[in-house]
Amino acid sequence: MSCSYRLLRRHLSAALLVLSAGFSASALAHNPMCECKAIDAEQIKCTGGFSDGSGAPGVTLDVIGYDETILVPGKLGSDSTLTFKKPGAEFYVLFDAGPGHVVEIDQADIESP
Amino acid sequence: MSKITTAVQPSRLSVFWHKWRFHINVLLLLIPLGFMPKYFSDAALFRGDAGLGEREIGEIQVGPWSLRLAELRNEAPRSDGPAGYLKAFSAALCTACVEPVKATYLRIGKPRSLRAAGVIFFGTPYRMGTQLPVPVKTPADAELWITMEGWDGSMHQASIPLSQASPATIAWLNKQGAKP
Repeated sequence: MSCSYRLLRRHLSAALLVLSAGFSASALAHNPMCECKAIDAEQIKCTGGFSDGSGAPGVTLDVIGYDETILVPGKLGSDSTLTFKKPGAEFYVLFDAGPGHVVEIDQADIESP
Repeated sequence: MSKITTAVQPSRLSVFWHKWRFHINVLLLLIPLGFMPKYFSDAALFRGDAGLGEREIGEIQVGPWSLRLAELRNEAPRSDGPAGYLKAFSAALCTACVEPVKATYLRIGKPRSLRAAGVIFFGTPYRMGTQLPVPVKTPADAELWITMEGWDGSMHQASIPLSQASPATIAWLNKQGAKP
C-alpha cells in the first residue's frame, strides 16, 4: 500500500515539476528598474536594480536637466544606490544600464519625504 | 510442520491501484494532448510561421526607413513584478533598412534624447522583439514613438497613437483608471 502511495506521490511531484518549469519563463526576464525617493528636503536617494532581483552596482545614473545638460554624472555604489543633492533646475533621473536598458524618472515622480 | 495462512487483506486503495493502474497511466499520457493546440500555436508564433505577432499594426514610415510593427500577443500588458507592466511588440525592418539601421527603440511619449529613446528592439532585423514598459497612469491618448538610429549617426523618429498600436492596452489602461 505504502508503495503505491509513494509511486503516486512521485508521479504527482514529477508532474508538478514539469508544470513549474513551463510557467517559469516570465521570471527569467531581467528588466531594469529604478526607484528614487527624497530622503530630506535637499537629498534624493535612487536605488537601481533588475526585475530578476539582482542589484546594479556600478551602473550609470545621471541626473539630467530638462535642457539635456548632465547635472550630476553618477554611478551606483556597491549597494546599488546613489544619493545626490537635489538640483535647483528642473531635472529627470536616468538609470542607464546600456542602450535600450534605461529607466527615466521625472522629478514630478519622486516621492517627498 | 504447521501451515500458517494468514492472508494480509490488501487495502481498497491498493486494490484500486492494481486494478486500474494501466488505465490511469494511459490517461496520464493523454494529458499532454490537451496542451498540444496551445503548444503548436505558440511555436508557430515564436518561429514566425504565424506572422510577426497576433495582431499586425502595419507598416510605419520612419524618415527614409520603415518597419512592420505587431503586437506579439493581442492582450493587455503583463506584470513583471517590481519592474511594472510590460507589453511585448515585435517588428521587422524594411529590406532596404536592414543594412543601414543600427538600432530601433520604442517608447511611450516623445523621447527626450537618443539616450532615453526607450526600450531597444533585439533579435534579427527580420523579426525583432521588445518589451515596452507601460506605466499604469499612461493617458489613453498617449503616443507610441519609434526611434531608429543609423550606423551613419542619423536618427529618425515617428509616432502612432497607442490606441492604434494596441487597443488591448488602451482597454486595460481604462480599467486601471477606474480602479481607485
